[in-house]
Amino acid sequence: MTELTLYEEAMCCSTGVCGPDPDEELVEVSVALDQLEAEFEDVDISRANMQHNIDQFLETQRIYDLVEEHGPSILPITVVDDEIVAKSEYLSYDELAAALETASPTEEA
Amino acid sequence: MSTTPTDARAVVEPTSDETEFVFFSGKGGVGKSTVSCATATWLADNDYETLLVTTDPAPNLSDIFGQEIGHEVTAIDDIEKLSAIEIDPDTAAEEYRQETIEPMRELLGEDQIETVEEQLNSPCVEEIAAFDNFVDFMDSPEYDVVVFDTAPTGHTIRLMELPSDWNAELEKGGSTCIGPAASMEERKQDYERAIDTLQDDERTSFAFVGKPKDSSIDEIERSASDLSELGIESQLLIINGYLPESVCEDPFFEGKREDEQAVIERARTELDANAMATYPLQPGEIAGLDLLADVGSVLYGGNEAAVDVGTATNVDAETAVDFDSMADAEAVADQLQPGDETRYLFFTGKGGVGKSTIASTAATKLAEAGHETLVITTDPAAHLEDIFGEPVGHEPTSVSQANLDAARIDQEKALEEYRTQVLNHVTEMYEDKEDTQIDVDAAIANVEEELESPCAEEMAALEKFVSYFDEDGYDVVVFDTAPTGHTLRLLELPSDWKGFMDLGSLTKGAAPAKADQYDEVIETMKDPKRSTFAFVMYPEYTPMMEAYRAAADLENQVGIETSLVVANYLLPEEYGDNAFFENRRAQQEKYLGEISDRFDVPMMLAPLRQDEPVGLDELRAFGEEITGLDDITKETEQEVTAS
Repeated sequence: MTELTLYEEAMCCSTGVCGPDPDEELVEVSVALDQLEAEFEDVDISRANMQHNIDQFLETQRIYDLVEEHGPSILPITVVDDEIVAKSEYLSYDELAAALETASPTEEA
Repeated sequence: MSTTPTDARAVVEPTSDETEFVFFSGKGGVGKSTVSCATATWLADNDYETLLVTTDPAPNLSDIFGQEIGHEVTAIDDIEKLSAIEIDPDTAAEEYRQETIEPMRELLGEDQIETVEEQLNSPCVEEIAAFDNFVDFMDSPEYDVVVFDTAPTGHTIRLMELPSDWNAELEKGGSTCIGPAASMEERKQDYERAIDTLQDDERTSFAFVGKPKDSSIDEIERSASDLSELGIESQLLIINGYLPESVCEDPFFEGKREDEQAVIERARTELDANAMATYPLQPGEIAGLDLLADVGSVLYGGNEAAVDVGTATNVDAETAVDFDSMADAEAVADQLQPGDETRYLFFTGKGGVGKSTIASTAATKLAEAGHETLVITTDPAAHLEDIFGEPVGHEPTSVSQANLDAARIDQEKALEEYRTQVLNHVTEMYEDKEDTQIDVDAAIANVEEELESPCAEEMAALEKFVSYFDEDGYDVVVFDTAPTGHTLRLLELPSDWKGFMDLGSLTKGAAPAKADQYDEVIETMKDPKRSTFAFVMYPEYTPMMEAYRAAADLENQVGIETSLVVANYLLPEEYGDNAFFENRRAQQEKYLGEISDRFDVPMMLAPLRQDEPVGLDELRAFGEEITGLDDITKETEQEVTAS
């Protein structure tokens, strides 16, 4: 089981796309995660933002340290299994897919 | 004195060991708070531990009991078993924000906390917070009975729907706008319990309070059917403020009384309530424990209502004011007429003060004077079509008066429009991105799902409201707004969301156009040359104070100044020649004086009529009577002739 976790800034809702004029990047990442979840059988994808899931920030030491040192501007952080694959930016669908394939190369076999 | 227990008593009196709940709903200004206070007092006097909760954003329990209450549970003086609280949405929201932020303090510095705090200024937070408060009071084992004095009808029904809406959200597994996911599972159980209790007629009684007027009964009928769709049945109907027979001694008041009695009869036969009770109009205002006890003894004790005409009020004749000296026709007309740019007129005030009629009358007169005019109601319980006697829909349509269009915001259609607009926006994002790996349909479906959130409704109403500032071709746009508390929220929303958008995260650099549009609307509303805010009230303490507080809020929070007041339902001098009406008239004069002291703006005076004006002819005639409006037509005619 591969785990992908996306740590994000405080947002009003879990995806950040509920306002009148949703942010393009947030729409893209939401749908990319949905697609990846459907395409990769053995992958568990979750999102944590500071407003709704603060416990996850407090309990994950590496994330805690990064945010404490750099402030929320270090977010979003993308973690695949135990490896931080991106900081301060959202990955595209292709980049996320590549990161997952690297992590679980047996997928195609 | 032995009394017969009434049917109403059987509805409100607790029957089990579990806490029971009594909800009072109805339009603002029908005496809902008075009846709630009287009921809570009666229950406490009958030895039940009682808590009285008001969820009305413009509460007046403090005025009725004559003591400060506020956002904390407060013991009521001289009534041993009674406590009360006025839930303040702002304070509730602040408490909620602090609870959410507290765990972040460990990780973030003061500056960063401040940013998050501002992000949490989302308008949805207020709704969530008020709702959480409400659910908390549904779990109060220390009381035998909890009496809810709820906000005006439309709002209350929203509140009742929320547990189901939000529960559905939770079922889907998303945390969306509702709150910290960690605490959600627990809340979910609370919500489910609240829904069960609301639907259990052994534990929850639902009462409507209305005036003896057809429009009041119509609204109760609609609300009762909305509630019934939620599985909540109304059990008690209270009609408040009918004219006592003994004081109606001339054709004007005899006629009014006959109409009222016919309405009461209609309510008795048409509405499906287990019990009904009535309370007469009193010569003075109902405040203080003695009068509350009288209301309780009539509604629940089965006593005859006493209308003590002689000693009812101690209004000092010296404070009486001269009507004519107060009405400055020219100044009123100045506030209504358009200048070079479109003028936006907002008629607001407590429910039941006659906003729709005054707004429609002003719109009719302005149209008659040759100004292209649009009148819109934002009140979900609006009845513009009853007033014009013509269909009024979601899109502006012409009514028979030349230059006049009317519309009403249909919440469901507004929501549909909003969804379409957001989804189109998402589709456009992908139009010039042929190489994308993203499934566009999936992206749209994703956003669509997010739009199921209850906050979307509020956003939709706001978007529709803002869109009227872009309507071309009108010289005047007249807004007949929902009751005060709700309207204040709507008017504050552009500012709230603007601040929210400037901050990012939700919109991360997106939506500059949207933010600019909100900016423009805020600027327009703040510019006295383009916008006129008129508070409608009748000259009594509660409507006046509610308007006064709302006007102060509007100024402090949005920077909008009130520029006109309308005093409605003034008792005509030529009728009601007896001590009862003398008393009421003297009381009105006293408050007219206070209104003109408190609001230093032109005042429009409107008399009580035997019937509310219906149809264009009556609206025109009514317009001639209301100071200022008649002059609009004349002035313009003169200008036209002169040129």
